Amino acid sequence: MKIQQKQKDDIQVFELDGELDFHTSPDLREKISAEVSKQNHKVVVNLKNVSYIDSSGLATFVEALQKAKRASGKFILAELAPAVKSVFEIAKLDKVFSLAGTEEDACRLAKA
Amino acid sequence: MDKTFHLEANAQELKPFRAALRQLLEHAGFDEKMIQETILAVDECLTNVIRHAYGSKPGKIEVRVQDTPHEVRFSIKDFGHKFDPTQLPEPKLPPEKPGGLGVFLTRQLMDLVEYDPHFREGNLIHLIKYKTNQR
Repeated sequence: MKIQQKQKDDIQVFELDGELDFHTSPDLREKISAEVSKQNHKVVVNLKNVSYIDSSGLATFVEALQKAKRASGKFILAELAPAVKSVFEIAKLDKVFSLAGTEEDACRLAKA
Repeated sequence: MDKTFHLEANAQELKPFRAALRQLLEHAGFDEKMIQETILAVDECLTNVIRHAYGSKPGKIEVRVQDTPHEVRFSIKDFGHKFDPTQLPEPKLPPEKPGGLGVFLTRQLMDLVEYDPHFREGNLIHLIKYKTNQR
């Protein structure tokens, strides 16, 4: 999995490309955790090019959301492919996360 | 079709296995949604074997895939520590903490999940996905 990180205004945007599973999630967890743990940080993860997610990937995002909340920050997921979104829905995590249709919407939500 | 995969208990094996499994499921006539569900369910079982049966140490996993007229049947065998995922309680949804969703996803996505208590050398789990919605 490729993980690219960029800054848009005061928002850290992660762009992921590949499959998020038990093998690839530890690297992502480490990179995201470093950002969401900072006080008042805004983090957006663009999943446009993620074709697969398993429970390890879900756990990575649940942990990131918890850390962001503790640090009074924002953690938004954007552009989930239908196959990925359906896994969130099965676990009822679509009710917990802010899921944005576009990266721009996600950045607006992060700033709100 | 009756095919057995011989895998190492290594997370790096998961991605190529998923690609190979996709081909078999396409051949079995599954639609895209059923393919995605089945791949995720089997992948979660393998992840559990790597994490719990082998404790992330080296080991062997055998995955037998049988395509029959009405269903695709999986038999996942390992030779590690005893771990019966069917005994785990249902998680609270949505989860309040990370983890604990793998077995839940397998149960949700397959039509049958069965642990064979008679297999003494390790663990043997049977999964079935019907070709039509018979739930």
